[in-house]
Amino acid sequence: MTLFNMFNKEREEPTAVTADDRLSLVLSYQRSDIDEKKLKLFQSRLIELCDDFGYDVVGQVTVVPQSKERTTIINASIPVRPKGAPKE
Amino acid sequence: MSQRSVAITITSGKGGVGKSTTVASVGLGLAQLGHRVCLVDTDIGLRKLDLMLGLENRIVYDIVDVIEGVSKLRQSLVRHKEYPDLALLPAAQTRYKEEVSPVQVKQVVNELRKEFDFILIDSPAGIEGGFRNAIAAADRAILVVNPEIPSVRDSDRVIGLLESANLDHIDLVVNRVQPEMVKDGDMLSVDRVKNHLAINLLGIVPEDRRIIRSSNTGEPVILDGKSYAGKAFSNIARRLSGEDVPFLELEEGTLISRIKRLFHIA
Repeated sequence: MTLFNMFNKEREEPTAVTADDRLSLVLSYQRSDIDEKKLKLFQSRLIELCDDFGYDVVGQVTVVPQSKERTTIINASIPVRPKGAPKE
Repeated sequence: MSQRSVAITITSGKGGVGKSTTVASVGLGLAQLGHRVCLVDTDIGLRKLDLMLGLENRIVYDIVDVIEGVSKLRQSLVRHKEYPDLALLPAAQTRYKEEVSPVQVKQVVNELRKEFDFILIDSPAGIEGGFRNAIAAADRAILVVNPEIPSVRDSDRVIGLLESANLDHIDLVVNRVQPEMVKDGDMLSVDRVKNHLAINLLGIVPEDRRIIRSSNTGEPVILDGKSYAGKAFSNIARRLSGEDVPFLELEEGTLISRIKRLFHIA
């Protein structure tokens, strides 16, 4: 296993699994001229918004632009639970 | 001016996707249907259409000569021997794209409208000056795309540039499709390419080794009766001519399509 990891540790995670997903991602970035900094800022504002509306963020927040028929759709996944709710 | 005269730019963004092959075969297809067709090569410095049509030895003047007043437009047109209704206005081979402007190309194309029904403008690769020259006079555009991510991404950028130049009538030709690779999930399907780019599909052209042979012999693949790609280009010409032609069945593996292909009815 150590040997296996030694060869694979440099390998980056693919940005998308299928060619279609990858194309969708590539086109979204191109069409909306999204830069990573902007997306990170957007992500942190979403977390603040959750706080304002009474939610605790309890997991990894992901913000992924997707492309559908020349329209960019920003998909945000934010795992939350209401503030004060007991932890599972 | 010809009432039906229409100027169409064939473009792609990315190089090597089959723009000139498409222009040569579709142009010939339109001439076979009885239309008067002029092919304009705007790839100044890197001309190809003359070779694809087997006309390279008959060029005397070119588009830059016309623009600079060295020759008259009619003198510079090279007629096809078998199809005299098909003419080529060649690009200069020893000049640079920057030496002509979009306004000058537009003037030349407007002059051609008086004599031809279809003017097909072969655009150079890229989105710089040569591309702007090629779209200046166009009424509509055909985007040639290969089913691979770099080609689709470039085409998507080109669609944005065409739309910002008020060229809204854009048709899609998906070239070099390999059904077996699509079936194995190794190539984007025509449907996916079409959905991503969201423009009208004008043609589907399969990958065909006969195209290499045709560009080496100077006989457009549309003249090759055994070529599936030739049939696809013929269908594109018929669609441009106003006919309602179904798309080719590209499922090579099925017995029915093999039989259809054998009898040239697919």
